[in-house]
Amino acid sequence: MKKHVVGHKELTNYNEIVKLTVPKLVYIPIFNFNSTNFELLVKEGDRVLVNTKLAVRNDNMTVPLFSPVSGTVKGIQKVMHGLLKPLDHFVIENDGLFEKTEAFAPLNWQEASRQQLIDFMMNAGIVGCGGAGFPTYIKYKFAKDVDTVLINGVECEPYITADYRMIEENIEDLMTGTQAMLKAADGKRAMIAVKETKKELLAKLKEAAANIPSIEIKAVPDMYPMGWERTLVYQIFKKRYNKLPGEVGVVVNNATTAIAFAQALKGQPIIEKMVTVSGDGITKPANVLVPVGMKASDIAAQLGGYTSEDVLCIAGGPMMGKTVTNDQFVTTPYTNAITILKTRPVDAIECLRCGRCNDTCPAGLLPVRINNAEKAKNMDLIEKLNVNDCIECGLCTYVCPSKLDVTEGVRRAKRILALKK
Amino acid sequence: MKFTFRPSPNARDVLSTKRIMLELTLALMVVFAFALTFYYVEYGMKYVIHALSLMATSVLVAAIVEVLWCVFTKKDIKKHISSSFPIVTATILVLMVPISTTLYAMAFGSFFAIFFAKLLFGGFGHNIFNPAAAGRAAMLTSFAAAVTVDMTTGPTPIASIANLGWIITDQTVLSELLAKFGGLTGLLLGWYPGGIGETSALLIIAIGAYLAFRKVLDWRVPVFYVGTVFVLAAVIALVRGLGIWYPLYHVLAGGLMFGAVFMATDPVTNPTSAAGRIIFAIGCGIITILIRVQANLPGGVLYSILIMNMFTPTIERLTDGWQIQKAKKYAISIGTLSLTGILLFVFVANIMVPVVPKEPDPEVPVINLGDPIGIFSAATATATPELTNTVTEGNVVTYTVSSKGYAILEGGYEGAKPNVFEVKIDTAQGKIVSVKVITFADTKGIGDKIDSETFLKQFEGLLIDDESISVDTVAGATVTSVSAARAVRFAIETLKKGG
Repeated sequence: MKKHVVGHKELTNYNEIVKLTVPKLVYIPIFNFNSTNFELLVKEGDRVLVNTKLAVRNDNMTVPLFSPVSGTVKGIQKVMHGLLKPLDHFVIENDGLFEKTEAFAPLNWQEASRQQLIDFMMNAGIVGCGGAGFPTYIKYKFAKDVDTVLINGVECEPYITADYRMIEENIEDLMTGTQAMLKAADGKRAMIAVKETKKELLAKLKEAAANIPSIEIKAVPDMYPMGWERTLVYQIFKKRYNKLPGEVGVVVNNATTAIAFAQALKGQPIIEKMVTVSGDGITKPANVLVPVGMKASDIAAQLGGYTSEDVLCIAGGPMMGKTVTNDQFVTTPYTNAITILKTRPVDAIECLRCGRCNDTCPAGLLPVRINNAEKAKNMDLIEKLNVNDCIECGLCTYVCPSKLDVTEGVRRAKRILALKK
Repeated sequence: MKFTFRPSPNARDVLSTKRIMLELTLALMVVFAFALTFYYVEYGMKYVIHALSLMATSVLVAAIVEVLWCVFTKKDIKKHISSSFPIVTATILVLMVPISTTLYAMAFGSFFAIFFAKLLFGGFGHNIFNPAAAGRAAMLTSFAAAVTVDMTTGPTPIASIANLGWIITDQTVLSELLAKFGGLTGLLLGWYPGGIGETSALLIIAIGAYLAFRKVLDWRVPVFYVGTVFVLAAVIALVRGLGIWYPLYHVLAGGLMFGAVFMATDPVTNPTSAAGRIIFAIGCGIITILIRVQANLPGGVLYSILIMNMFTPTIERLTDGWQIQKAKKYAISIGTLSLTGILLFVFVANIMVPVVPKEPDPEVPVINLGDPIGIFSAATATATPELTNTVTEGNVVTYTVSSKGYAILEGGYEGAKPNVFEVKIDTAQGKIVSVKVITFADTKGIGDKIDSETFLKQFEGLLIDDESISVDTVAGATVTSVSAARAVRFAIETLKKGG
């Protein structure tokens, strides 16, 4: 149900973190987790400062956006987003002065009530930094009878080491953020899960948590997709749930999110991100500190450019990240990686029916059956095969010896099923 | 600068179908090399050359069929062959046949496997039946009598036990059976003739374990297949009190290991889910042993795989769904199937009848007749016999004549005695009715051949007035034969003298 995947983490794990020069223009996507419903707070021509609130998501959730630079709003432009959708972005011209304003008042978490912490999380725009960008406060708002707040530092995607470096550089913030989250969840204990192969980091974490009785450090196997909530919760608690981990008394948050929360408590919203830029398609793979809204092309240029004329430019890691057909997409608060790979031909042949995809599917699905059902457009079978439980982790394509795009077949099945309904 | 689009994920494991097939082919070649060594050591170079010819024929025919298929369907030959893997099927097929298979039968099998069982179904990945198994079945039915060239090897373990009705309660019969193959250890090592590559269970287990470790094949299929055969044979053994040798014999003999490791695992013809594979393997096990002990067919393994291949789509449908949720249902299905198998064999074991091997017929010595001897020739005039008794019943006179034979005339044995004959003559018709040996006193094993219908029948109906009558002597027993002729002459002459 899970599998070791070659990590290639050595490409960036030990390199120095590079703070990139902030470009002249930054593009802030007016978007959060499937929603483009935003109340715009600035308009073309306005001068903004670092931390100026630019817009607030105003549908059923509240998520503010902050400016990473000081300068002038040049307008709103449609740009390809890393999720392969063209979306509206604020274009801000950076004046290079980095004049700061206060985004919000800091908060002493030890004195704050649970409700205050949750409201603070909402107003600080804390979102899941693992890649999805789901507003974090929602999890805590609806948390009930929480046993464990599980901080996920597993980072199972190949190539990505951003979380690892974030934790390493911000252990104190991680401890603070974890405790504050535990309080916001009104839980009994907190756990920080890291891969067992990261021995040095585990030692450092254990040392830092030695005096904090509520935090336990947990080592988990180096498997993919160990970072997926369900796999991680099952690994640690041997429990399965239907929809949300709250059903088994667990709230899961990414380690970088916990760190971001701790930094927000000091008054700093997420306007800068640690991003792993790696793969054999980039000249100097590295973990970079970049502002939110920096174009991939600007990042690549500062890392020595591409190594090939034909590359796959992936927003995220190679397993779940989407390949974008240009390098004009920008970093967001939830970007953790850009992976550049040389394009190599894939020599696909007929399905061997070996069943490896079925054996490895972490969701317990039968990908080869789903693919066959999709080809036959057998809707009843697609539904029976629980296709919507697929999280598109990509493991079925990864293991396929016939080199077929199994995951893509499952995606197609999901789409035709959605169209039918 | 080009940014190629490719749906995620964009990381892939190194293991490829081509490498799986390459490793499988190499593994099969190791098995073949073992077979060649065996035939070279035990039977000589002629057998090795024949085995190599079979391999060449099978591979060549398979390749030609694939190429022709490409030509007729207008496919790129190189691309098609490299992703169709005819060599695997061709090799497995050779390893299944006995060494006595003729080349044309081999060619037919290879053609059938590739063309009918694979290409017509849509090629690699689409075939319903395991192509090699289908090819072998076609050979078995089409060339049952023609599989032999001028090479002979003994009966296989399966044929031997099948002749005994699959139940052996007699310890002597059992030890005779096991001795043929060097005991259970011999069966494990496989140093005996059988299907070319099927004999060495040990080698196949070792290779199978390696291939399973390399993820070339799914360990569940051979383990559950062989396990099922073992358990069900053990059920028969328990019911009939046969001992541990019985399930071991079932497991080691008859190409079960070969079939379980190399054919039942063919992923193309397997269900794709883990639970499905286990059900498939248990089904194969049940059918194999059922065919063996009830249908008394040699190809239990072969047909069980082909039959279960037909069930593959059904099993797939049965195991469709969300695996985590259905784990319990799968476990119940597997348990029910196993239990059904066990109960079935408790019943089967009770109705099995052992075949008592027949005592071999006593050897009938071959009587060859040699030179003729005239009844009234010079040779019969010497060593005058003695008349010991005369009985007259109507027209038939019976003389009992004692005539000196080899023992007295030539052998000079101490206490040598004459042979005694009974000669019946019909006086009305002037014919000899019969001649019988009453006492035989010459060399046993040589002279006693005259006491046979072949020799004595010659006298019947001879006319006593005809001076030229003669009989053929028994080759190698001339003196004894003459003693008989002399007795007859003496009887005739006694009659003519009015005695």
